[in-house]
Amino acid sequence: MFNNNQFRFYVTRAHWLCLALLVVAVLIMPMLAKQAHANEQPLSSSFTGKDNYRFVIVPKAVAPWFDSVNEGAQRAAEMIEAQSGADVEIEYSAPQQSQVAVQNQILEQAIATRPDGIAVDPLDANANRAILQEALDQGINVVIFDSPAPEGLEVSSVGNDFCEQAKIAARRLVERLGEKGQVAIMMGTPTAPNHAIRVRCHKEVFAQHPDIQVIGTAINDDSIAKAQQQAAALMQSNPELDGWVVSEASGPIGVAQAIKEAGKVGEVKLVGLEKLPEMLQLIEEGVADSSVANRPEAQGYWTVQALWQQSLGIKPPDYMDTGVDLITRDKLDDFQ
Amino acid sequence: MLRKLMGFMVSNPLSGVISVLVIILVSASILSENFLNSYNLVIVSRTLAFIGLITIGQSMLMILGELDLSLGAIGGFCGVIGGIMMVNMGINPWLSFGLCLVIGTLFGVINGLLVTLLRLPSLVLTIGMAGVYGGLNLVITKGVAITGIPADIGFMGSGTWLGMPVPFWVMLVFLALACFLTLKTPFGRYMYAVGSNLPAAQMLGIRTDRVRVGVFAFAGFLAALAGMLMVARLGSAQPSIGDSWVLGPIAAAVIGGVPTTGGIGTPLGAIFGAAIIGVIKNIIVLIGVSPYWQAMVTGAIVVVAIALDSISRRYFKRD
Repeated sequence: MFNNNQFRFYVTRAHWLCLALLVVAVLIMPMLAKQAHANEQPLSSSFTGKDNYRFVIVPKAVAPWFDSVNEGAQRAAEMIEAQSGADVEIEYSAPQQSQVAVQNQILEQAIATRPDGIAVDPLDANANRAILQEALDQGINVVIFDSPAPEGLEVSSVGNDFCEQAKIAARRLVERLGEKGQVAIMMGTPTAPNHAIRVRCHKEVFAQHPDIQVIGTAINDDSIAKAQQQAAALMQSNPELDGWVVSEASGPIGVAQAIKEAGKVGEVKLVGLEKLPEMLQLIEEGVADSSVANRPEAQGYWTVQALWQQSLGIKPPDYMDTGVDLITRDKLDDFQ
Repeated sequence: MLRKLMGFMVSNPLSGVISVLVIILVSASILSENFLNSYNLVIVSRTLAFIGLITIGQSMLMILGELDLSLGAIGGFCGVIGGIMMVNMGINPWLSFGLCLVIGTLFGVINGLLVTLLRLPSLVLTIGMAGVYGGLNLVITKGVAITGIPADIGFMGSGTWLGMPVPFWVMLVFLALACFLTLKTPFGRYMYAVGSNLPAAQMLGIRTDRVRVGVFAFAGFLAALAGMLMVARLGSAQPSIGDSWVLGPIAAAVIGGVPTTGGIGTPLGAIFGAAIIGVIKNIIVLIGVSPYWQAMVTGAIVVVAIALDSISRRYFKRD
């Protein structure tokens, strides 16, 4: 049927054809595979980052609320380590006094250690701006948490809608008072942007109710002891006071203490803020009616996420809202 | 060589505090590679400048056997007054700066007059005056910072000259002036005489009240200067400026060899003491000590520094 020459010729052509196809396949397949892999896992292929990262968290003060932020930051570090294989160190550096000059010193010292990113809860946006700009100028990523970003500074911020949080608290108090009565506001640090926003929004809600009268705004500088003194003095001079709202986490604990000492538990309503264990205890005891709490762990988590993204050259969203919860006595189990 | 070193240690009252400072500086540079970087050294020197100005004034008062716990409040209040003058009243920033220094001096004079005329212990009186100045500060500001400080004076707080912060140079100038005043003038000799033995100084015909009021005035001036430099640094007049300038300068002066009982020590020694505290505070942040431990660690190291200086004094019998 076939002579040797014919067979040899035919086989040789087929062989060359197969070999050529094989070579082409060998050359093309890795490229196709690489493309497919890139389509499936875009993030892991872009891990061109370093083997280790160090992020510094600078809160406003040494306080339990900020410890929760730190816990969230640590969770984010674990996630990044698991996902990227890089070592992530979270350095938590809190000012010993809640003063912007002291916080600026901490920020300067943090810059001196050349971290990959700094997250800060600014005590005073105006007085912090120059130092934060200095960090950016030195190529250090900056993310703001628990506060809007200072004007003129192009950085991402993580927080919640402070105005809405305050309005929920004020509306709750108005509702509990039957839309009439005398109320007072306890403000934390007047220069802190989030505290100022909350007080403004409390007042906006109260202004919508003609039978609600705001008799005063006290300042506690984020101190429980000072909140207690201020609240006691204000209740002493205004015995008809019916209710309190506050602008930060220390305020309600001091106000509650003053309410207890004045023997006005149940008579003077308190809508607190945040979910410190003391706050939850006060709701359980009936000294406080409720609390509108943001989520510090989530803020810490997304802050570190944003810093990491920046380190990878990815621009995080300008603003991330981590939400709030209204904690009442019947929902306490969900938060304890 | 060793004999020369021993001779220096015996003869120089500052050798103890300088030795402690050197030990801490060496330890700091070993503990953190970032300690010796130029940016960090600028930070340390700038921080030292503000607390140093208060320390100079406080140490001169301590040489007299007096204390002024209202210096921080004077600094904060003068800063706020300066902010109001510049922002709300539109007065020229440099003129406002100068006027605030005059006002700070007047506050110092008031403190001095109250102490000398009413024969009151300065410790108790100045606790009260701190409340007065701090309270007036809150009344005027309602706790809210004054923003929009003109950029003209920003250089005084944030600028650098020859690589070092301007406030640091300002502090060095007034340190030199204070050292000259205390060590090279009759006024300085009167200060030591008043601090060592007030009745004896009066018997010698020294106008002790004038000397005391004069030093209170100078301390008030330096407090106002520190306050205004901080306003220039922050770009806003914060009501809380000076809140942390109360105990640190006293501890610094004691570390630097100025006892609260008066009669000995120099402002230069006090500045070395302030530098020790400043470096300790810097290094515990650089090496990442937990914020909950920082106050305890700082306090413990300060106690060790005072103890080392005291032991060296007894060993070399310098005083």
